[in-house]
Amino acid sequence: MEIKDLLDKYGIIGIISTYKSSFNQTGLVKDLNINNISKALKIVGLESDILNMNIEDLTIKEKWKLELATKLNNKIIIIGNMSKCLNYKDKEYIKKLLIKLHDNFNKKIVIIDNNIKSFFDIVKRIVVLKNKKVIYESSDFYDDNLYKYTEMPEIIDFIKYVNRDKKILKETTDIYELIKDIFRSNHK
Amino acid sequence: METDVTIVSINLNNKILEKYSDYFLVERNFKIEDLLSKDKIIFYNALNGLSLQKIKDILARLKEKNIKYINLTNDMEEVLATNYLIIYDKNKILIEGKTLEVLKEEKVLKRIGLELPFIVELSHLLKDYGLIDELYLDKESLVDELWK
Repeated sequence: MEIKDLLDKYGIIGIISTYKSSFNQTGLVKDLNINNISKALKIVGLESDILNMNIEDLTIKEKWKLELATKLNNKIIIIGNMSKCLNYKDKEYIKKLLIKLHDNFNKKIVIIDNNIKSFFDIVKRIVVLKNKKVIYESSDFYDDNLYKYTEMPEIIDFIKYVNRDKKILKETTDIYELIKDIFRSNHK
Repeated sequence: METDVTIVSINLNNKILEKYSDYFLVERNFKIEDLLSKDKIIFYNALNGLSLQKIKDILARLKEKNIKYINLTNDMEEVLATNYLIIYDKNKILIEGKTLEVLKEEKVLKRIGLELPFIVELSHLLKDYGLIDELYLDKESLVDELWK
């Protein structure tokens, strides 16, 4: 299936691939061509005091968020390198924002990263891209074939490791569900 | 300076690299053979996306050759590959020490926006539920403790 068709069907997809940002703007932040720039900055989690700063002086995280701010009006929002540029707190904030943009504003979201861990818990479909062609796709995060192309998230690795001998844990991507399951298995 | 270090930076900028300008800078898609002749290496998000075991294997090869290394990353899973951990915010050290000791500071790390490595987070939660008594840094020991 083509990426466009996958987006129409699933709304939020994750692509395992290298992402090269085309955001290479220079000059002051306030001079960027962004509609209602203060509001856009706030939405992506940036303070408006960066408006008078040079883009070159921003941290990697701030530049990443600024790039997202320039894309908020697009119908399809393509972002990449979340794992490289953001810390945990930022990633969690951005993931909630992307879900909101999809659910409330009908935006289609594409997240590109070599590292599945940064997005596996919010996407509906994972696509592996090589030389611009889809070579594998899945919606099952416990699908072993997926991990020929990317490292397995630790929670999945842990559950698979336990179940290899004991088959006592349910397949989940939620650490609190896992805790409940471990608690149950220890109190039988 | 310790020889086996991970640095996690909350607000990564290039100034932090200037502090370690005498280290050989390694970015993604490197060949380990190209590093074995260096004295000091700094990985700059270069190990991101590799499994912990692969990272440990790479660092073990450097250790064999007595090469000092720093892994500058924002992936907290990678901190389990080294014995010493430094947390920076911009150019300031917020917390540093033996990796296990730093990871015990769960509240401090979370307050500054960092996650814990999965197995450490799981250990903390299981400890809160009274299922285990200490923190574990690898799944094998934790599983042995839970279902011994």
